[in-house]
Amino acid sequence: MERIHSLYLHVPFCTWVCKYCDFNAYAVLEGLISPYVDALSHEIDRAVAQVPIGPVDTVFIGGGTPSLLTTPQVGQILDRVRAVGLAPGAEITLEANPSNVTSETVDGWLQAGVNRLSIGVQSLQPDALRFLERLHSGPDAIGAIRTARAGGFANVSADLLFGVPGVDLATWHETLDAVLAEGVQHLSAYELTVESGTRLGQEVRTGLVRMPGADDQLEQYWGAAARLEAAGYDHYEISNWSRPGFACRHNLAAWNYQPYLGCGAGAHSMFRLDDSSTERRWNLKGPHAYIRKVSATGHALDGSETLSPARARGEAAMIGVRLLAGTGSAHDFPVQRQELVSAGLLVEEAGQVRLTRRGVELANQVGAAFLG
Amino acid sequence: MSTPTHLTRAISVIAHVDHGKTTLSDRLLEYTGTVAPRDMVEQVLDQLDLERERGITIKAQAVRMLYKADDGNTYQINLIDTPGHVDFSYEVSRALAACDGAILVVDASQGIEAQTLANVHQALDHNLTIIPVVNKIDLPQGNPELVREEIEKVIGLPAETVIFASARQGIGTKEILEAVVHRVPPPTGDSAAPLRALIFDAKFDAYRGVVTYIRVLEGTLRPGMRIQMMQTGKSFEVDEVGIFRPERTPVDDLTAGEVGYLIANIRNVRDSRVGDTVTDEARPAAAPLPGYRHVTPMVFAGLFPTDTEQYQQLKDALEKLQLNDAALIYEPETSAALGFGFRCGFLGLLHMEIVQERLEREFNLTLLGTAPTVEYRVKLRNGEEVPVDNPDHLPDPGEIEAISEPMVLATIVVPSTYVGNMMELSQERRGQFLNMEYEPGDRVVITYRMPLAEIIHDYYDQLKSRSKGYASLNYELVGFEEANLVKLDVLVAGSPVDALSMIVDRSKAQQQGRRLAEKLKTLIPRQLFEVPIQAAIGGKIVARETVPAMRKDVTAKCYGGDVTRKRKLLEKQKEGKKRLKRVGNVEIPQEAFMAVLSLD
Repeated sequence: MERIHSLYLHVPFCTWVCKYCDFNAYAVLEGLISPYVDALSHEIDRAVAQVPIGPVDTVFIGGGTPSLLTTPQVGQILDRVRAVGLAPGAEITLEANPSNVTSETVDGWLQAGVNRLSIGVQSLQPDALRFLERLHSGPDAIGAIRTARAGGFANVSADLLFGVPGVDLATWHETLDAVLAEGVQHLSAYELTVESGTRLGQEVRTGLVRMPGADDQLEQYWGAAARLEAAGYDHYEISNWSRPGFACRHNLAAWNYQPYLGCGAGAHSMFRLDDSSTERRWNLKGPHAYIRKVSATGHALDGSETLSPARARGEAAMIGVRLLAGTGSAHDFPVQRQELVSAGLLVEEAGQVRLTRRGVELANQVGAAFLG
Repeated sequence: MSTPTHLTRAISVIAHVDHGKTTLSDRLLEYTGTVAPRDMVEQVLDQLDLERERGITIKAQAVRMLYKADDGNTYQINLIDTPGHVDFSYEVSRALAACDGAILVVDASQGIEAQTLANVHQALDHNLTIIPVVNKIDLPQGNPELVREEIEKVIGLPAETVIFASARQGIGTKEILEAVVHRVPPPTGDSAAPLRALIFDAKFDAYRGVVTYIRVLEGTLRPGMRIQMMQTGKSFEVDEVGIFRPERTPVDDLTAGEVGYLIANIRNVRDSRVGDTVTDEARPAAAPLPGYRHVTPMVFAGLFPTDTEQYQQLKDALEKLQLNDAALIYEPETSAALGFGFRCGFLGLLHMEIVQERLEREFNLTLLGTAPTVEYRVKLRNGEEVPVDNPDHLPDPGEIEAISEPMVLATIVVPSTYVGNMMELSQERRGQFLNMEYEPGDRVVITYRMPLAEIIHDYYDQLKSRSKGYASLNYELVGFEEANLVKLDVLVAGSPVDALSMIVDRSKAQQQGRRLAEKLKTLIPRQLFEVPIQAAIGGKIVARETVPAMRKDVTAKCYGGDVTRKRKLLEKQKEGKKRLKRVGNVEIPQEAFMAVLSLD
């Protein structure tokens, strides 16, 4: 099995589960947090003994809302990672809600070893924040970025959502400009996506909410891309931009089809086996079930699948093309490459392919071409 | 086992589709102990999975029951279950020819419908004793009394002969059996005469070859005899004769009046044609039984594998299916758009659907069927006449003297409220009004002469929807008639798609072209590029629509668990795409090829 250098840790708790969210998150389970952190620590200890891992180059604590943990709890978890062995200059990201970012927490996270903070700003506009059911205000979010930077984070990322009903192009640009003015190193701008199992999904189905059309969504997307580029950000993945040198190394590794170990409720792992097949495993999703299973057995495996080398190559290409600088992952698909190039979705350069502007808009069509 | 001739009966159950024919047959089997209740699968006689699922009978079935009547005698009752759909009316007619009586089932809530009448006329043509049964009397919306009155007034069967029944609840079963033994006459044939046995069905058994379903009308049939099929002239040696109880049970002989089967190492159902007469080669009968008709297909369509590599499999599958379906014909066809496939002939639309479904299901194929068409007769200027069963093969207009199309006599039975709608629809469909009769029970029987092509183009669905489901239809072919027809072509992304061509009435061609283009626009999914759709008559574009290019298909987030989810989603979409046929670089779904059927 290929040696693992990336670790994903999931914290499934939120104060409130927003209506568009379909991540593995549960509201107000605060009494569970402490036993959960113990279980997660235990799972890490057991899991790293089963697979070839380390030194660990990237750690990503995602959620949910990992900033709901106390800073000692974050420290407790990262101690388990340190026991595995951290590479010098390892990237250690924590996802944070603006409301949880204070000079005290910032200090505590830095002490615990976190060196990259990803702040869930989503929007600055009051109507949009209300629509999205975010509990913070625009000034809270700007304040959070400032506090993080002032407190010593040299690598701060902000998450934004566009294509929110009721938010026009100008308002979206205002939000984006205000966040960029804070000098973040990294920015993720996601199109608000309607997932069928969510409350938003239901509202759209019943006609209560009307989503913007594809043209409007793309106008906001490309509008953002142009502003970010003008501000010196590199558009390195479909929804991600960074200052030079600040691309998220953890996610880059996954898009480059590097293996990772995931721990925590509902976390996914990806292993590359010696015969070039890929194994994906995932944990039980519910925090109660997760804690019980880990206490009893030391793991919380819920399911797994193994992709044959051929399917794994297709999957690698499907993911790889999302990297806008280009990828060599489509190497084994000359016929599909040729078709996509002639359809104007890909360009080929120096043995690599990359999406054209049209290719970005139809990235799923490109990805699907490499599958089975 | 042997029953004296005077205690033998042969009957059929006839009904409009869905009136409960098969359920009633099941009750008779149960009541006579032919099938133990614990072995009773709902609808024993429908043997194909497809028949059970769709609740219809496609193949005729036969079974022998023994019934101890109130008079103390044990009767042998041979029951032949017939297909209820108009596509198979010839099969019904042959099954009836093999009987002496018929149980006519009429639904207590639906009353007499078009096929009820058609079936009754057939039964009367064969001099059958009819036992009228009003079924489903347990349903609250039923009106058995009214239906009984209808039976007397419309069909002319005395009201007091009508039996009330509920096949579901087993009400009336005994009364029906008593009526069968007392009202239906015993067979009159002479078992010592030269053999004449009527073939009313045949099916292919992978181990035994063709199993021929027969009724012996005269003479005696035994294993070891050399028999001859009087229409095809082919001879075979009989391996086995037997009866259905309901599974096949060999017997020593079948004598005059008995219903059963014969197995004679026949390899193809074509050599055992429904309606043919089986005789003794050594002592042949002077003349065959009357009524034999060579079954000819009424509608034609192309069947193409969506994956071109399945061509050989499709060919093998058709060969196998044909062993069991004498009405199915096919020949290789090449389409510029769809590649290699087969032009197939069917008895009707249901038959076509069933064949396609069986090919896909039983042989694991993914097929694309083109819109069905009728067979035109084209008279050329050089005096030649050619049949055309594929619109794309219509000769150049300059060579054509005249085109004739098949005509049918259509009988519609409908409550009087909807008469206006029915006439409007039939007029739109080039129908020539022939007759209208008001019957009791607020029923009107309307007859039209109209082109078969109009019937297969969604006429039945329209009839149903414009009568809130009340109208019923029966039709029969009555000949050919000259018409003013033209070919309508369709171009997708600038290239003609031969499989979308259709032959239409000249006066409606422009409008049809516009509708077809509009419809195709909704059916062809967005592609990576814009796709123009054009309709043309004789090279002149009469309509144009455009399928806009796909605007956006991109997933915003792709992390951790999203990857598996996204891959599965894309794989599923891709699987769905396999049902699309790639024509040039445009992917066209099956429904688009059927679009021409419903342009109203």
